[in-house]
Amino acid sequence: MTVVACLKWVTPRADDDDRFAGISAADQSALEFALQSAQPGEDVVAVCAGPVGAERALRDAVACGVTRAVRIDLDPRASSSAVASAIASVVTEARLVWCGDYSLDRGTGSMPGFLAARLGIGQALGLIDVTIAHDAMTVVRRLDGARREIVRVSGPAVLSVEGSTARLRRASLRGVLAADTATIDVVTGPSSVVDTVDEKPFRPRARALAAPAGASALDRVRSLTDAGSVTARSETVVLDPPAAAARIVSTLREWGYLG
Amino acid sequence: MSDADVIVVGAGPAGSCAAIAAARAGRRVILIERGPFPGSKNMYGGVVYPRILDELVPRWWETAPIQRWVVRRSTMVLSETGALTVDYRSNAWGEPPYNGATAYRPDFDEWLSRQAVAAGAQLVTSTTVTGLLRDASGRINGVRTDRPDGDLSASMVIACDGVNSFLAKEAGLYTATDPANFTLGVKETLALPKHVIDERFGVRDDQGVDIEILGGTSGVNGGGFVYTNLDTIALGAVLKLPKLAAQKKRPEEIIATLKAHPAIAPLIEGAEVKEYSAHVIPEAGYSMMPTMVTDGMVVAGDAAALCLAAGIWLEGVNFAMASGMYAGEVAAAAVARNDVSAKSLTAYTDKLNATFVLRDHKKLRKVPGLVLSDRVQQKYPAFVTSVVERVFRVDNPQPKPGLRRIVREERKRAGIKLSQLIRDGWTGLRGFG
Ligand SMILES: Cc1cc2nc3c(=O)[nH]c(=O)nc-3n(C[C@H](O)[C@H](O)[C@H](O)COP(=O)(O)OP(=O)(O)OC[C@H]3O[C@@H](n4cnc5c(N)ncnc54)[C@H](O)[C@@H]3O)c2cc1C
Repeated sequence: MTVVACLKWVTPRADDDDRFAGISAADQSALEFALQSAQPGEDVVAVCAGPVGAERALRDAVACGVTRAVRIDLDPRASSSAVASAIASVVTEARLVWCGDYSLDRGTGSMPGFLAARLGIGQALGLIDVTIAHDAMTVVRRLDGARREIVRVSGPAVLSVEGSTARLRRASLRGVLAADTATIDVVTGPSSVVDTVDEKPFRPRARALAAPAGASALDRVRSLTDAGSVTARSETVVLDPPAAAARIVSTLREWGYLG
Repeated sequence: MSDADVIVVGAGPAGSCAAIAAARAGRRVILIERGPFPGSKNMYGGVVYPRILDELVPRWWETAPIQRWVVRRSTMVLSETGALTVDYRSNAWGEPPYNGATAYRPDFDEWLSRQAVAAGAQLVTSTTVTGLLRDASGRINGVRTDRPDGDLSASMVIACDGVNSFLAKEAGLYTATDPANFTLGVKETLALPKHVIDERFGVRDDQGVDIEILGGTSGVNGGGFVYTNLDTIALGAVLKLPKLAAQKKRPEEIIATLKAHPAIAPLIEGAEVKEYSAHVIPEAGYSMMPTMVTDGMVVAGDAAALCLAAGIWLEGVNFAMASGMYAGEVAAAAVARNDVSAKSLTAYTDKLNATFVLRDHKKLRKVPGLVLSDRVQQKYPAFVTSVVERVFRVDNPQPKPGLRRIVREERKRAGIKLSQLIRDGWTGLRGFG
């Protein structure tokens, strides 16, 4: 079995200057837990889907003690789902897969969920505390409303952790020197992984309106904007959830918001 | 076998050049830098004179990360409201093989370190050297770092850890440290659109300007500078430490006053402050230099106080690159001879003595003291500017006064004795060689 740490390499600057690139504190915590949770004889694999520059993060991971480093050559615009598929194809036999729950580029933290689905194993995401024991781990999830969920993890699982959970160990000098020439396995990821990415700012779809009626320009503007008219279109109804949902849809359609 | 033939501490200009030279000579070199990448922790005013690189990186100008090529060098003397500027322009400096250039240190130092890696040196970043290792005879044979399992052994060490070198001190190469030997350099990086900088400074394309300033530092002995980058201006002051402390002035206030001077304000109007940085300079130059070699170690660059800060010159990077290069060459040869004793390493001092590195320093050794003296600082700028003011002022119907009379009257007004003026003039003449 292996323990895996997934690291996302991010160049935060618009000019893609690699000197300022790196992995998030959450990913660093994930790496630390991967190293701590490996049992004797188990491989610890660091995986990063990213460009050549990302190999620096992998070398840093090797310096810290991972036994194998894999870079998946993947379009940096690949969606979380595509990244998860690509990672799932290289992490076979994983007992634990550690991820950060937040990348440097304000990610959504959705990749670990996709990854658990692809691997067909359990998941415990958004962890704020981890206690590693020999047989099973106890982890704490942050829920809304200041609630916590305490989960025991025994089987294979994907775990995503916050940056506050662990401090990555400092690599030894020998480790750093050796990592310089360590082998990084490079796997070519699928090429068509970019979902339709809309890079324009969000705009609601346009709504077709009939030409306003009215004799004068002022009337037409009034009818177009409802200005000045009493538009008490609110109404309170009490319905059970399925009926409420149906009512919302029919009202939106009636008002012309749905096609 | 030791971990390396040569360990170079500090990947500034001195360290990277030392690593290039030693690696090219076939030695196993490890270059250790405390910052996350070379240059990340480094600052300076902004102009490099990389001629010495011709020997290490032929046609360096084709790849070096240069902002602008300096085609105008000015020296400005500021009184409270007046300014006298001597300005020299040569567009030939803007063409290969070039003269000086503005560059950002995080760019330049990183580029230079890549040349060292290309030459075969191994670069280790985010690692601070915390001490020296010695063998039973006391010879330095490695370094200790702040990493776990962090001792590294080597045949010899080159200390390029910058001003206030802890390694040179630990090796006992410095005598007592006197704060009077240091100045504090402070700098603001001010952003303006490129075309605005071009217009205000009378340059085009990648042409740049270097202005050194005497006076204008709010009565604290020192000087100022203004350099042009592509779309920023570096404006700063170099301030004598004991004076700064005694006058209880904040360096950023002094910068603010300099920025408000009528000769400076229009140059930087509307600029946005991008960065404020500060660093110590080994100003006293020749008179504060340490012993350069000891058994198993040589010292180069600012660590050896090889920074030339003498009024119209503020050069350290070129001295660092040259001394680093010679240190790397000498170290490589000493390791090959299997003799890294201080005696064997005097070849390094010989090399410094035979080249501009120490010859410039020796020739100009009186200049830093003269330039920073109270008279030159407090009295001469007002004296010189008022003389020029009267020479150029038209006082009709009064006839023009003679130059000798003006000089005499203004000298008296500024409270400068003729004997002092002659003495300082003579020191200056001799000092500047
Ligand atoms: C305000 C100011 C303006 C200046 N203007 C100019 C100018 O315009 N032109 C010019 O030529 N010179 C200028 N200088 C001088 C110039 O900056 C220095 O002379 C030059 O940087 C010296 O180079 P160096 O390699 O010796 O030292 P540094 O550039 O200081 O490099 C030392 C390196 O060692 C690293 N280091 C230090 N200690 C350790 C350790 N223990 N372990 C590991 N790494 C370590 C540092 O991080 C750094 O990278 C200026 C200086 C100042 C302060």
